Amino acid sequence: MLKLVLRGFLQRKLRVLLTGIAIALGVALMAGTYVLTDTINRSFAGIFQVANKGHDVVITPTQTLGRQTRSQTSPITEQMLAQVRATAGVAEAAGAIFTPASFLDLHGKRLTTGGAPGFVASEVPKRFESFVPVSGRFPTSASEVAIDQATAEREHLRLRERIVVAGSAQARQYTITGILKFGGGQSFGGASAAILTPVEAQRVVGEPGRYDQIDVAAKPGVTPGELRDRIRAQLPSAVDVRTGAQQAAKESSDLESNLSFLRTFLLIFAYVSLVVGAFIIFNTFSITVAQRTREFGLLRTLGASRAQIMRAVVIESLLLGLLGSGIGLLGGIALAPGLDQLFKSFGADLPDNGTVLETRTIVVSLLVGVFVTVAAGLAPALRATRVPPLAAMREGVEIPPRVLSGVGVLARALLVVLVFAAIALLTGSGAIGVIGFIVLSGYVTFLLVRLMRGGVPGRHPVVRALARGVGVLVRWRGITGRLAQENSIRQPGRTMITAASLTVGIALVAFVAVLADGTKATIDQAVSRSFAGDLIIENSSVNSEAGIPAILAPAVRRVPGVASVTPVAFTVGRLRGSSSNSTITAIEPASFGRVYRVEWAHGSNATLQQLGATGTIVTKAYASSHHLKVGQTLSVLTPTGQHVSLTVRGIASDNARLLGDLTIDLSLARSAFGQRDDALDFVTYARGVSNAQVQPIVNRGLAAYFPQARSRTAAQFKADQANQINTLLTLIYVLLALSVIVSLFGIVNTLILSIYERTRELGMLRAIGTSRRQIRQMIRYESIITALIGGVFGLVIGVVGSVLVTTFALSGSGYVQSFPIGTLVILLFVAALAGLLAAQLPARRAARLNVLGALASE
Amino acid sequence: MALPEAEAPSGKIVEAHDLCRRYGEGEAAVDALAGVTVDFPAGRFTAIMGPSGSGKSTLMHILAGLDRPTSGTVSIAGVQLTDLSDRELTQLRRDRVGFIFQTFNLLPVLNAEENILLPLSIAGRDPDREWFERLIDTVGIRDRLTHRPAEMSGGQQQRVAVARALVSRPSVVFADEPSGNLDSKSSNDVLELLRHAVDDFGQTVVMVTHDAHAASFADRLLLLADGQIVHDGDAVTAEQALDLMKSVG
Repeated sequence: MLKLVLRGFLQRKLRVLLTGIAIALGVALMAGTYVLTDTINRSFAGIFQVANKGHDVVITPTQTLGRQTRSQTSPITEQMLAQVRATAGVAEAAGAIFTPASFLDLHGKRLTTGGAPGFVASEVPKRFESFVPVSGRFPTSASEVAIDQATAEREHLRLRERIVVAGSAQARQYTITGILKFGGGQSFGGASAAILTPVEAQRVVGEPGRYDQIDVAAKPGVTPGELRDRIRAQLPSAVDVRTGAQQAAKESSDLESNLSFLRTFLLIFAYVSLVVGAFIIFNTFSITVAQRTREFGLLRTLGASRAQIMRAVVIESLLLGLLGSGIGLLGGIALAPGLDQLFKSFGADLPDNGTVLETRTIVVSLLVGVFVTVAAGLAPALRATRVPPLAAMREGVEIPPRVLSGVGVLARALLVVLVFAAIALLTGSGAIGVIGFIVLSGYVTFLLVRLMRGGVPGRHPVVRALARGVGVLVRWRGITGRLAQENSIRQPGRTMITAASLTVGIALVAFVAVLADGTKATIDQAVSRSFAGDLIIENSSVNSEAGIPAILAPAVRRVPGVASVTPVAFTVGRLRGSSSNSTITAIEPASFGRVYRVEWAHGSNATLQQLGATGTIVTKAYASSHHLKVGQTLSVLTPTGQHVSLTVRGIASDNARLLGDLTIDLSLARSAFGQRDDALDFVTYARGVSNAQVQPIVNRGLAAYFPQARSRTAAQFKADQANQINTLLTLIYVLLALSVIVSLFGIVNTLILSIYERTRELGMLRAIGTSRRQIRQMIRYESIITALIGGVFGLVIGVVGSVLVTTFALSGSGYVQSFPIGTLVILLFVAALAGLLAAQLPARRAARLNVLGALASE
Repeated sequence: MALPEAEAPSGKIVEAHDLCRRYGEGEAAVDALAGVTVDFPAGRFTAIMGPSGSGKSTLMHILAGLDRPTSGTVSIAGVQLTDLSDRELTQLRRDRVGFIFQTFNLLPVLNAEENILLPLSIAGRDPDREWFERLIDTVGIRDRLTHRPAEMSGGQQQRVAVARALVSRPSVVFADEPSGNLDSKSSNDVLELLRHAVDDFGQTVVMVTHDAHAASFADRLLLLADGQIVHDGDAVTAEQALDLMKSVG
C-alpha cells in the first residue's frame, strides 16, 4: 500500500509541488519569523552582555509601573553615588547617563535611521566602558562628542566635524573628537550613540546632578552577590540593585517582551497563509479522490479495507505535509533577512548578527505544516473510504455525498472553538487565541460555503449567480467567454473552495482597508472638531514616544504673532487595586480650554481652572468602566513610586483621544510623576495674523534651537496621521499578499486538475477548429471568473465584517464610517489579475494538448 | 488565411499521395501506413474498414489534418495540408472539415442548439438560420434544442453531433465509428442521416468503421490491412463486406 502511495506521489510531481508550495509559503513565513526574532533577541543579548561587562553591581531606577515605563526623572543623585562609594567592598562606582536624544547634522537632517533610537551617554571609567575609540578620543570638554562607528560611517562623519545633539535642553553643536567601536565586535543594534562628558550629558538630558544608573565594581574577594546585598540594604526602594549578570538578563528579557508583539504580528500572517493553504490542500485532495474513484473501487474489490484506503490517503497528505513544511522551513531561513529588510524599509531598524536557528523553529514549523496538511486532507480521505467496490466496474459512479445540516455546522464550529479555547487556556497564550480566531473564520467560511448549497450537493445558487454576474465581463468575447463561464460552474463546490482561498486574503485586505479609512476619517473629524489652535509642535522623529523639551513652549510664546502656547504631556499611573496602567494627559488648565474643545459630560471649561494639584478629569469610557463619579477620590501610583490622591472634577468624552484615562495639571505631572518633557505644544495666533506670517518664524526658531521639533498646521497634522496609518497599511498589505499568492497556487492546481478531467473535450474543441489561442483564452477567462467570485466574496465579507466590528466594538467612540472605494475597486482588479496570472501555466498546458491523444483519453 | 472557395479542379475533395506513417524508431518502429494513395471525390460516401491495427484510424486522422504523415502528401479542397502550420491546420479543420466521433463528444455545458452551432461560434461566424432550421429538422431534434447532452439519449446526442458536423457546410465530414456506441435502432438512424447528407446535400463523407452493417450504407468501400489498401470498390452488402474483411484476416 505504501509503495502504491509513493508511486502515485512520484507520478504526480507537478501537483505535489503546487500543493506543497501552498503549505510551504505559510510555513516559510512562520519559520522566517522565528529565525528573525530569535536572531534579533540573540543580537541584543550579546549587546547587553557587552554593555554590562565589568559591572559587578548595577543600580537603576525602580520601574514601579512595569518594565515598559520609566520615570523621566531619575531618583539616582550624586548623594546616592557617594553613599554607594562609601559602601565596604566597592572598588569603584560611577554614575552614567544613557537617555534617548536626537542627533542632527548642521542642516537639521537627522543622523539616525528609521526607528532606531539615538542615545546620549556619558563617558564612564575604563572598566565599565563598552565603547573603545577607533580613532580620536573620548570628549574632555563640554563642547566635544564621540560617536559610534556605524553612525559615523553611514553619515560620512569625520573627526573635527560638528554635529547637533538635542535633548531636553536647547540644542547645541559639538565637535567630534572620537569615533568609537562597541566592544566585542558587536554592532550597537542599529542605534546611534553620542558620548558626552558626564556633566554635559546630564545637562543635555535635563538631569543635572542625576544619573540613569550607577555602575559598581567589587573589590577582590567580594562577590557581586554579596556586594549587591550590601548596597541594597543602604539604598531606598526607588532604585533596583542587581548584579551585572542579572542586569544583562533583565535587559534581554525586557527587550524580548518588547519585541514579542513583532513575533505575534508576523505569525498572524503566517497562520492566515496556512489557513489558505489548508483550503487548497482540501480542494486538491477532494478533486483527486474524486478522480481516483475507480482506483479506490478497484482496491476495495481486490480486498483493501476501508482503513487501508484511509491510511493510503492520509500517508499521502503526511508526505505532502512533510515535503511542503521542509521546503517552507528552508525558505523561512532564507526569508528572515528579507523580513528584516521589509521592516527596515518601513522604518524599524533591528539588529541581526548572523542567523539563529533554534530547534524549536524546526520542530514547530514542521509540526504545524504537517498538522495543517493532514487535517485538511482528512475529510477527503474519509470520502475515499466511502467509495463502493462497485466503482471499479462502472464509469461515473459517484461517492455518496453527505448532507450537512445547520446543526451539524454549528456543532463543528463549536468543536473548533473548544479545541482552541482549551489550547489557549493550557498555554495561556493570547496569540493562540488570535490564531484560533483566524482558523475559525477560515473554517466558518468553509462551512458557509457548504451551507450555501442549501445542504443539497451540486446546487450552489450563490456561486451560480455570481458566476453569471461576473461572467458578463467575458461573455462579450463570444464562445470562449461563454464556455469559461459554464465551466466555472460545472463543479460549483470546487470553484467555491478555490475562490474561497482567495476570499480569505481579499477579505482581510478589505477589512483592514475599510477600518483604516474609517480611522483616518475619524482622526480627521476629531482633529477638526477639537483642535481650535493654529499650530501643533511635536517631535519630528518617527518614534512616537520622543517628546519636546519643556523649555520650548515659553520660547515659542515669545514669537511675534503668537497669542498663546499650551503644552501637553503624556504619562501613566496606576489606580490602587488595579494591575494595569492608566494613561494620563497633563495640561496647563489656564490655557488648554482655549485651544481644545472638550466635550463635557460633567463639568465645563471652568472645571479646568479648579484642577490644581489634586483634581482630575476622567473620560466617559473610563468613568463607566471604573464606576467613577464626580467628587470621588482616587489613589494613583506614579512612575516615581509616589502615591497621589486625585478627586474627579469632571467627566469628558474625547474622540480625538488627546485626553487619557485621566487628565491632570501639568505641574503635578512634573512634581509627582517625574514628567520632564512635553509631547505637544498647541499654538494659537493673535487675532488678524495669518499662518504665513507666523509659521515660518516658528520654524526658523525651531531649526536653530530645537531642531528635533517641527510645527504642523491642523491640516499637516491630519496628513501626518493619515501617512502613519498608510505606512502600517502598506506593511499589512505586503504581508497579506503572501496569502493571495498561496491562493494563486490553489487556482493553478484546480485548473490543472479540471483541465485533466476535460482532456477529451479539449481534444474535440481543437479537432473541430478551436485555435490554441482560443483554448488559452477560455482557461484564462475561467480563472478570472473564479478569482473574481473569490474577490467579490472577500470584498463583501471584509466590508461587512469591518462595519459590524466597528459598529459593535467602537460604538459611541465617535468612529466615522468611511469606505475607500478606490482601494476596493483596485482590490477587485487585483483579484482578476491574480486569476489571469494563475491561468498562465494551465492555459499553456491546455493549449499544448496533443489533439489525437486528448481525443483518445478516457 | 483565406482558403480558396473553389473545389479542387479534379472534383476530388480529399487527395492523398503515398502516405506513410511510422510510429517509434529503430527496431521497435511500426508502420501504421505504408504507402497509401487514395482520393475522395465530392458528394460520395466512403467507408474505410479494416481489422484493428490496419491503419484505418491513422489514415483518417492524417486525412483530417489531426496527424501528420511521416512522408507523403494530403490535400483538402486543393490545399496542401503538409505545408500548413498548426494555426493554419486549425483554421482548415474549422472551415473545411466536419467531425463525428464514436463518443459523441458534445460539450456537457452547452445545450443542443449551442452544441450544433459551436463550430460557427468558434469561427466567430453568424449561422445561416435557414440552413440551421433545415438541419435540425433533418436530424429530428427540434424538440430537444434546449436540452443539454446529459438529458438526451445516445442516439439523440449523436444526431446533434451530425448536425454539428454539417452546420458549417464543410468540404468533407469525417466520421469515426459513428454508430459504435449506439443500439441498432439509433445506429441505423445516424447512418441514414449520413446517407441523406450525401444524397440530398451533396456532402462528402468519409467514415471509419469495423461494422460491416455500417459500411453497407456507403457508396464505396476501402479495405485496409497492414497499412495498405487491399480493396477499393463500390458499395457492397453487409455480408459481402464481412466476407471481404475475413479474407484480409
